[in-house]
Amino acid sequence: MAGQLIDLILTRLGTPGRPRSNDRFIAGDPLTPVTGIATVAMATFDALKAAAAAKANLILTADATFWGDNDAVTGLEGNETFKAKRDFIRANNLVIYRIADHLADSAPNPIRAGMARELGWQETAQGGEAARFRLPPTNLLQLSQLLQTRLGARTLRVIGDPTLPVSNVAAIWGRAAQMPAIRTLRSDIDLLLVGYTFEWEAVLYAQDQIAIGMKKGLILLGQVPSLQGGMKYFSEWLAGQVTEVPVRHIPLVETWWNLDRPVNEIKTTI
Amino acid sequence: MTIKTALSRRRFMTAGVGSASLAATGAQAQATLTAGAILERMKTEIGGPWRDGGVDHFTAGGPDTVVRGISSVMMCSLDALKDSLKAGCNMVITHEPTYWSHQDRLDELQDDPLYKVKLDYVTRNNMAVYHMHDHWHALRPVDGIHVGTANVLGWTQCMHKDNPRYYTVPSMTLLEMARHIQSRMKARTMRVIGDPTMPVRELYASYGNFGGLGGAQILDNVDVMVIGEAQDWDLPMFVQDSVAAGRKKAFIVIGHVLSEQWGMEYAAQWLRGLIREIPCKYVPIIEPYWNPSRPVMEINPKI
Repeated sequence: MAGQLIDLILTRLGTPGRPRSNDRFIAGDPLTPVTGIATVAMATFDALKAAAAAKANLILTADATFWGDNDAVTGLEGNETFKAKRDFIRANNLVIYRIADHLADSAPNPIRAGMARELGWQETAQGGEAARFRLPPTNLLQLSQLLQTRLGARTLRVIGDPTLPVSNVAAIWGRAAQMPAIRTLRSDIDLLLVGYTFEWEAVLYAQDQIAIGMKKGLILLGQVPSLQGGMKYFSEWLAGQVTEVPVRHIPLVETWWNLDRPVNEIKTTI
Repeated sequence: MTIKTALSRRRFMTAGVGSASLAATGAQAQATLTAGAILERMKTEIGGPWRDGGVDHFTAGGPDTVVRGISSVMMCSLDALKDSLKAGCNMVITHEPTYWSHQDRLDELQDDPLYKVKLDYVTRNNMAVYHMHDHWHALRPVDGIHVGTANVLGWTQCMHKDNPRYYTVPSMTLLEMARHIQSRMKARTMRVIGDPTMPVRELYASYGNFGGLGGAQILDNVDVMVIGEAQDWDLPMFVQDSVAAGRKKAFIVIGHVLSEQWGMEYAAQWLRGLIREIPCKYVPIIEPYWNPSRPVMEINPKI
């Protein structure tokens, strides 16, 4: 049953959970028998379709299912998109568990370990509010091209001089709040990578650093590309813990397009 | 009466007020026009009550700063300050913050080296910076940002009379709309969700940031939402899932600066109707981002 499996996974992760957390069963009945487990960066409708097609009905997600921090569905009861997604979840017996805080609190943190592995990088120190790397010297343009390709971050956005030499890199995978993003930018780094951060906060801060002659760069990768290497890593760890059912990772294609390549990647049939 | 004629009439009236005050005070006023006096004129012309409690306030200088030129900018970056000074303007009317948060919170920045440099720059150059966010959106009859953005997109006539956030535009595909916005705004890093070939005609615009899921119900009424900035995991994900549910819906994110700065271009025009004694100039700022296919360095690194 889904509930027992979640208990087992949380025990093995060894994280007590936070008193205030968005981690919980987001949809489905914990008493549902589990046919397979899928990990995913964000429980998009397409992710659910792929999980159901792979006969995985327990879905562990790092980010939202119902489009927000706490997956609140109040006021959405009559909404066409909500109904379609909810009906799909019911019809396919899916159970969705949000597991962001538990992963962030475990040591090693699978998101950080997995993103580093995805890029072939080594964290210089464990812990701290941002991951830190020392890379062989490159520049901001070259590194942004590498990240775009390797993470499938086709609409990533960059702030800074393309020729900026880059070696000391910090990363806040997923969302980066104003703090710690600004704190990390003012530490001894050349470049900060984030999933998302606000334009009037850390983006403006990085611009102003550059405007006083500091050598800094900032890259917004997009939320999914900045997390999913971690959820892939987590699925492999999980496969060693849970042997009764198959465990897989569902990779997501970047949803956004830009004018360089205007292609819709979303499946439009249910 | 269309919105366009309402605006022209309003501009005519404000111009009248400006000339009258100029005639009354004479050329001597030029030497003593203060930021406070300028703000008082803005308050009487905004078309509604001036409310306390929002984010609008002086982030540098104050009512006593003597002003020799006014600039309007989208965001008070250091580059915006430099360009304002270069244009002879020591009062900056900014739509977005100076100190990297909506409220210009300083509690965690007292020892921040960049804060000290920026504060020193505005103090040394005797600048006044006024954060005019809430009241520019409150401009009547139409939100000042929407007036400017509709102008640049050529969609003023498409704006719904009962709600200026809704537009009915000439029929085009999503890709054509994205290209139209890109060419009018010179947008480099716009991001789009949806089928590029789908026809779009009914549009909802929310420039600047759109947080939360208020857009879920709005999407029922339109083909496409055109937004300044939104976090991937709320409204954009909702639109993505709507597409995945088979609905014909789309979403365009322009970028926060690019979506709103035309509204500050309009602010300069509006200010020129109120302030005749000194120059009022629009100072455009850069799109903060580039992507790997269009790398550029537009930030001026010299202080």
